[in-house]
Amino acid sequence: MIVQTALLIGLVFFSVLAIFLKDLIRAAISLAVASLFLGIIFFRMGASYAGVFEISVVAGLITVLFILTIALTNTGEEVRESRLANVVFPLFFVVFVIIDALVMKGLLQKIPALPSGPEAGTFGEVLWKGRTLDLVGQIGVILAGVFSVLALFRKRDKHD
Amino acid sequence: MIILFVALPLIVAGVLPLIGKVSRRVVPDLLANATLLFLLVYAVAVGRPLIGNGPALQKLTWLGETVNLRLALDGFSLFMLMAISLVGLCVGLFSIDYMEHYGAKANYYALFLIMIAGMNGLVLATDLFNIYIFLEVAAVASYSLVAFGLGHDELEAAFKYLMLSVVASAFILISIAVIFGMTGSLSLPAVARALQDLNAGPVVGICAALFIMGFGLKAALIPFHAWLPDAHPSAPAPISAVLSGLLIKVSGVYALTRVFLNVFGLTPALSTVLMYLGTLSLVVAAFLALGQKDIKRMLAYSSISQVGYIVLGIGLGTPLGIAGGLFHLFNHALAKGLLFLTSGSIQQATGTRNLDEMGGLANRMPITAATNLIGSLSIVGVPPLNGFWSKLLIIMALIQAGHPVFALVAVLASVLTLWYYLLIQRKAFFGKLNERWAAVKEAPFWMTASTVLLASLCVGVGIFFSVTIKSWIQPAAGVLAEGVQAVIRSWGL
Repeated sequence: MIVQTALLIGLVFFSVLAIFLKDLIRAAISLAVASLFLGIIFFRMGASYAGVFEISVVAGLITVLFILTIALTNTGEEVRESRLANVVFPLFFVVFVIIDALVMKGLLQKIPALPSGPEAGTFGEVLWKGRTLDLVGQIGVILAGVFSVLALFRKRDKHD
Repeated sequence: MIILFVALPLIVAGVLPLIGKVSRRVVPDLLANATLLFLLVYAVAVGRPLIGNGPALQKLTWLGETVNLRLALDGFSLFMLMAISLVGLCVGLFSIDYMEHYGAKANYYALFLIMIAGMNGLVLATDLFNIYIFLEVAAVASYSLVAFGLGHDELEAAFKYLMLSVVASAFILISIAVIFGMTGSLSLPAVARALQDLNAGPVVGICAALFIMGFGLKAALIPFHAWLPDAHPSAPAPISAVLSGLLIKVSGVYALTRVFLNVFGLTPALSTVLMYLGTLSLVVAAFLALGQKDIKRMLAYSSISQVGYIVLGIGLGTPLGIAGGLFHLFNHALAKGLLFLTSGSIQQATGTRNLDEMGGLANRMPITAATNLIGSLSIVGVPPLNGFWSKLLIIMALIQAGHPVFALVAVLASVLTLWYYLLIQRKAFFGKLNERWAAVKEAPFWMTASTVLLASLCVGVGIFFSVTIKSWIQPAAGVLAEGVQAVIRSWGL
């Protein structure tokens, strides 16, 4: 319980830090550490595949991409930001924590026991046999991402 | 082969940028529009016979093995597919000329087809997580399409849209997770059956609230509308037409309706919440539209107001109310698509969206002016155009169900709608021709052809409204009126 609480506090702390840090590289690293905590929580809850993907893809690959992009595009100029976020976000965060503490515990106790076991099986079975349409959707998301990059970073040439 | 509605646009989208390297204009134009035409013909010619004996379920085998692609086609989803294909085709035709000066046409069509595939997938999904995934497919494509012009306004609007849409997705995902925790399943029929057996009122209430916030943000219902008046005007005109005409309805209204009427079951409390949200949207957005000078921004606020009518009708929950709401959804898709396309023609000809700078354009762009007038009158609800019949059905349903105050508000909001559409007509098309526009010419062929097609549909559906209602609206409304049993009994996958 103590380890679980510590992991959850770490997850929230580094997530909030990622929002508040002005230095983009530090913010990206903070987000990666938050992902690491989340991955460990997944492992401890028995969702080992989710843990592996969270740590390798989100904490690893995506952080590398973030840092590469920041390094390639950073001009060293400070970006002026609205100070409103510094006030609004903590306010929302505190309200959220209060609601969470007051409501969610009682609410979760009211959730009845599962009438049947969750859709289960090995990872391969679930992915290829149970969630095939999700894979079609994922192809759509990937295509949309690739074509978005091509469209939004295009150079207008003489033909256009 | 129901999967074709999703697979075909995705496959064509995948090859389009490659083809675009060889042919920059003609082949992408031809291929994208042929795909959209095929989807429309397929929905009309094949879809209707398919659901003749009840919902059709996708069965697919690959090398002797059954492929577990769970898709279902019923009256409601077929109606939505037809609307998506029809408006999508008109927008595709308009894009042939309009998107010339943007460049990267093959990429544009690829993203557009992915958005169509996402909407089709959402409409055919039989599982809550599939709905979420296809919601994201359509959304990711739409963010880029809003920013496609690469100007400051476009990028800012796309970013704002992305941020609020992510919040909506988070609400939806949390609700799906809680439902999965409660029922042990994501499949709509299994969830519907489990929720009937469970006694978990407060938790279901929280899930319903999260869905209302999530899908309400997607549908831009007031008070969740902040992103729409920026995103829709900034996008290229054909994309504004799809966003206002289709996307907010598919990812907002359709998803909300399917989940609440066919999975949760429409309780009196839920019905009241939806009716109040709908009424709030139709009144507040109508007042906000009145103060706009940007023609596309005015149309965007009008979309929020008209979605209010749709939610009011469907939220009422009576067969007549549902039929009225769905009919208005279809009519608004046609008319608002038309109005955004004509606003694109005006913007391309004059270079401005400011109504105060326009004037007398009917002299220089008579077809655009005429089609815009038809679209405006349709949305206002002037007989015999299509919008009149759907608004009439909603108002009749409200009176029949004993809600005369809601009916009165709906009528009064229509007067406000008339007011701001008359402002568009007076400021843009009538009056003395502004000297600056003396050299303005009518829009190019494909842009004019697509607006004429949509205007003809507004008139045709209005004149033959009983045929449309019998063929398309009643089967769709029947599925929703049947409630939870419609998916439990028919989609027993």
